[in-house]
Amino acid sequence: MNRMTPYLFMAPAAVIIVITLLYPLGYMVYGSFRDWDPSQTIGETEWVGLRNYIVLYGDPAFRESMWVTLKFAFWVVTVEMILGVGLALLLDRNLRGMSLLRTLFILPMMIAPVVVGLMWRYMYHPTVGTINRWLKEFGFSGVDWLGQHALLSVIIADVWQWTPFIFILSLAALQSLPSSAIEAARMDGATNWQAIWHIKLPLMMPVLIVTCLLRLIDAFKVLEVILVLTEGGPGLSTEILALRISRTATEFRELGTAAAMSGYLMLLLMTLTAAMFIYTKLVERRAQRLARMVAEAE
Amino acid sequence: MRQSLKTLAAATGLAIASLGSAHAGPYDEFAGTTLVVNFPAHPHYNAVMQVLPEFTKETGIEVEVDQLPYLKMRERQTLELGQEDGDYDLIAYVVFSKADYVYADQLENLARYFMNPKLADPSYDSDDLIDGYVYNIGFAGGKKGYLEGKTGSLFGIPFGSETSVLGYRKDIFDKHGLKVPETYDELLETACKIPELEPGMGGLSSRAASGHHASHAFLLHLAPLGGRVFDDAWKPRINDEAGVAAANALKTIVDCGPEGAASYGFGEALGSFLNGDTAMFLDTTVVAGQIDDPSKSQVVGKVGWAMHPMGVRRGSQTGGFGIGIPKNALNKEAAFLLMQWLTSKKGDKLVAMAGGNPSRFSTHADEDVNAKFPHMATFGEALKHADPDWRPIIPVWGKINADIGTTLSKVLTEDLDIQEALDGVAERAEAIMDEAGYYTWQ
Repeated sequence: MNRMTPYLFMAPAAVIIVITLLYPLGYMVYGSFRDWDPSQTIGETEWVGLRNYIVLYGDPAFRESMWVTLKFAFWVVTVEMILGVGLALLLDRNLRGMSLLRTLFILPMMIAPVVVGLMWRYMYHPTVGTINRWLKEFGFSGVDWLGQHALLSVIIADVWQWTPFIFILSLAALQSLPSSAIEAARMDGATNWQAIWHIKLPLMMPVLIVTCLLRLIDAFKVLEVILVLTEGGPGLSTEILALRISRTATEFRELGTAAAMSGYLMLLLMTLTAAMFIYTKLVERRAQRLARMVAEAE
Repeated sequence: MRQSLKTLAAATGLAIASLGSAHAGPYDEFAGTTLVVNFPAHPHYNAVMQVLPEFTKETGIEVEVDQLPYLKMRERQTLELGQEDGDYDLIAYVVFSKADYVYADQLENLARYFMNPKLADPSYDSDDLIDGYVYNIGFAGGKKGYLEGKTGSLFGIPFGSETSVLGYRKDIFDKHGLKVPETYDELLETACKIPELEPGMGGLSSRAASGHHASHAFLLHLAPLGGRVFDDAWKPRINDEAGVAAANALKTIVDCGPEGAASYGFGEALGSFLNGDTAMFLDTTVVAGQIDDPSKSQVVGKVGWAMHPMGVRRGSQTGGFGIGIPKNALNKEAAFLLMQWLTSKKGDKLVAMAGGNPSRFSTHADEDVNAKFPHMATFGEALKHADPDWRPIIPVWGKINADIGTTLSKVLTEDLDIQEALDGVAERAEAIMDEAGYYTWQ
């Protein structure tokens, strides 16, 4: 067998990866260095070096959009993680009807984001919306959901749709935990809370971190729900980066600037991903240590 | 054997057709062609869908429609028009796309089609098309680059165009002896009086949500109040006295409007009027069909129509859609025939009778149309004052429009000072215009 044979076998897969993954990425990065109008092919455009990145750095609207994106991503991921893991811990038991309940929980995730946006938009409607009608029914005054509380409103809609994602992965992680570890803890007199805090959560941590990372990446790219709910307003208060990128490309027809925005977003996500992977490694080591201790105790 | 007979029959058919070709109809050459058109999901184009079978029956040209929500349509067109061979033979474009498409050389100049005796229908009567719509939606290269003029050309024909009129609740106005507003002062006074007279009811429902909604609502008041976004040298003048008055008008309307009006998009503003939560609606004529539709409206028979109130001048908006032929279309001549048929007197009336927005003066005055839609005469009157220059249609408008809309949204929701807000918009607009080269000759 030739020394090159393994590489020859790998070549088709490598070519497909380069074409489908790296080429569009490279195209985007290349476009971010050009003054690019949608009517031009990328080859016809003018090379402007880092100008798009520098202009964006000094653009208050872009900075505000970045700040809104960070706030949105932080809150949705935090709340979804707490609720999703909490629900998984609560529903991780073999009672009658539990599988039906679990199925119902994951329904929101299956709805198209545009529909979710529309549904919440009408529920938030100041006069005919269900939420304000209920509030008024119970003697409260209506809330200006999509005005003064627009960011909170889009966070609620996102939490409603994506908490099930955390729930389903957390539940899978919980159900794959070694029962011996939990039984051993119980035999040592651990309470439910202690078992969760000291055994279940540390053992689930590698899965939770990956789940958190997936949600974080997704939260930075949310578009349709916000577009339908608030169109980024009032002002720029809910204009997250994905929406600004879409507008810059289609409404302002500045593909180079939109590509540079995507470049910034990619850099931010890569940094966050790297940080979380480092953290995952540390946590994995801790989980392995814990698993070893449990095994030794047995 | 069967195949040979078929071939013989086809050859005989062709021979007979060629014998009569000296007097062939204008559509014969294109019979059997299938046109692919891109239309928005919009009441006017829903009416067009009902009329298209009539076109196919008359011409033998089939039409396949790709109907999309209009923002999605713009997105799709941005990609489609940049290809070498396009999928679309005819597109509907929203008015502000005219600048982008013409500037990028993506739309056909229609002169060569109207010059072609085999294609141009002598009874088309282009003088009957509404001037304001044609200049606003169809022309480019004339005055200011985006209007009619000696250097201008026609790139599209208005189709699904609209102007602004005031809808008001006759029952509420009669109940309280209110006068239908004719001026802006009267409009604002009445808008704020109504919530006092009818607790829980808003005065006037307006679009106000961040972005193009707020910008549209502001510009709607700017022209009649004597303002413009730019002066003749392209310097922003949006922050002058008229600009401040227009922003103040919008703020008053929102403050005296229905609950949560500051976050209303077009749908919510119209919905509020249809539900009977607001007494007036100052916006596009396209809503008339829905207001008269009992399945959608709770105010059927209760709405009267009046001209867009006057400020220092009359100036109702012009907007909506036009239709044009993409440069990369595969069936341009057949597409022109469809475009001409749809915007002819016959086509315009058929679409109007199906609930669409007419683009011709004659359709607004037509007896049958008025018998079915009594508001059409008022709309025709409003169109005499349609202002084709109420908002600039230039390639960088998208960016300036978005800035106006988000800044005014802050005025409406965060009490940002109006003068300060408009000064900021003017400063940023000047920088955008400078970068785009509008001051090169100064």
